[in-house]
Amino acid sequence: MIKVENITRKFEKITAVENISFQIKESEIFGFLGPNGAGKTTTIRMLSALIQPTSGKITIDNRSPQKDGEYIRSITGLLTESPGLYEKISAYDNLSYYSSFYNISEKKRKDNIKKYLKMFDLWDRKDDIAGTYSKGMKQKLALSRALIHEPKILFLDEPTAGLDPESAHMVRNFIESLKKEKTTVFLCTHNLEEASSLSDRVCIIKKRIIKIASLTELQKNKKNKEVEIIFKGNTKKYIKTLKQIKEISGIEASKNKINLFLKKPETVNPIIIKKLIDCGAEILYFNEIKASLEEIYLDLIKEEEK
Amino acid sequence: MKNALKIYRKEIKEVIKNKNIWLPILIITLMFSIIMPIAFTVSAGSILKDPDTINFINKVFPDSQNPYQTLISFMVKQFIIFLLMIPAMVPSLIAPASIIMEKENNTLEPLLATPIKTSELLLGKTFTALVPAFAISTINFIILCINIDIVSYIKTGVTPLPTWEWVIVALILSPILSFIITMLSIIISSKSTDVRSAQGIGSVVIIPIYAIIGLQIAGFFMINITYLLAGCLVLILICPLLLKLAVKIFDRENILTKWKMK
Repeated sequence: MIKVENITRKFEKITAVENISFQIKESEIFGFLGPNGAGKTTTIRMLSALIQPTSGKITIDNRSPQKDGEYIRSITGLLTESPGLYEKISAYDNLSYYSSFYNISEKKRKDNIKKYLKMFDLWDRKDDIAGTYSKGMKQKLALSRALIHEPKILFLDEPTAGLDPESAHMVRNFIESLKKEKTTVFLCTHNLEEASSLSDRVCIIKKRIIKIASLTELQKNKKNKEVEIIFKGNTKKYIKTLKQIKEISGIEASKNKINLFLKKPETVNPIIIKKLIDCGAEILYFNEIKASLEEIYLDLIKEEEK
Repeated sequence: MKNALKIYRKEIKEVIKNKNIWLPILIITLMFSIIMPIAFTVSAGSILKDPDTINFINKVFPDSQNPYQTLISFMVKQFIIFLLMIPAMVPSLIAPASIIMEKENNTLEPLLATPIKTSELLLGKTFTALVPAFAISTINFIILCINIDIVSYIKTGVTPLPTWEWVIVALILSPILSFIITMLSIIISSKSTDVRSAQGIGSVVIIPIYAIIGLQIAGFFMINITYLLAGCLVLILICPLLLKLAVKIFDRENILTKWKMK
């Protein structure tokens, strides 16, 4: 659905995005992560045919945004970082105005306005001036606007920012449900928990691409993996034994719990267990802790900064 | 074109609701089209009691038979210039408000993400400023004509308006001036985040209009059809240049990367 080949975008002397390439399949949820100023918004703008790359090639639905910008904009929906609503007109009129620029029938337009306003609990206040809405309501209205023409591709920049936990949960469920409708979602977020729960794959960017992979692959490839062992009794006497195992790069011990950091748990774990049992340890619990996306992200960004 | 009209329809509703725009227009209309001409025409009799005024009329218009009629004709020429203030002022109030409001609310990016063409967006914004400018100028022209004609008819039995000069001003010069001010306002608004500073363009443009009034009163020249047509020609030549610049500024990429945003 989306193919990005070696795109670079420069703003005079500043390079916002440098030589990035990736592909996104139809109905995939693609998490796009990176620190502030990493080039996320620039990438979204290039993909939604708002600005052109300085070099490189983008193909969306087999067309080029440079040549067929109007078509690309008709099949994409964009939720910008700030809601960007007309504050002096009603919520209904906001949606009616924006949707009027898409080639959809009047009936479909009205049906969709009703559908999304109801879905996001805004129908009862549809005639209220958008400026009177709370931050969360504005965000939901902006999301409705991005969806109003039922786009094939949805670009979401911080979709749950400013939402209360209940609304955020609802929005996340909704994003997940878009998969069934074969909508491709490009999700830009600082909420790493959200990215890990929704994304099929994530891309970590800091001007250049640092990593693209699914969460499972990222966890698998994490350099330092963590193993947690809970003992019956004090851990002090086992630390000396564990320190003798070269493959263990770090040990954190508390009363009856030890956390070990190692590169290849699949080969080292049996050695650890054997050695501990040999020295009389009573192991109550042994578990390999899966790294969270946040840990992986921070590690990768830190590494990139080096 | 269809999309430009959609923009125009939405924007014009907001203009009507914005009293910061229509209140100054209403005051100017009352002042220049109703109060000033009536006050002048009514008080012309007492002005003529002043020997300096009579001397001025005899000097500038040596062939004058009826000083009252001459004075009215002279002032009618001054009012032509006042009439130009309205097409200059209306777009300078509307266009910056319309563009800077989009900047304040961050509505330009979502709007540009729709299949709309930037030329349609520019056209819609231009209509929003030009249509009311033309309508209000024409209404003022009609009100002013009726006022002067009624009062003048009562006093002298003559209806001096409309003259060809007035028709040229109302139907040719005013729209050209409105267009120029609209384009200038759009260009300035792209670099500004403050409505008031962008609206300042209107007050800058009014300065040459005051200069023309001053020079005319001082007897340097008298507005006539030739001067007006020459003025139209000069301004028409400026129009394509400003349009070209506005189109360049109103490019999607330019708006998102170079415009000064709040």
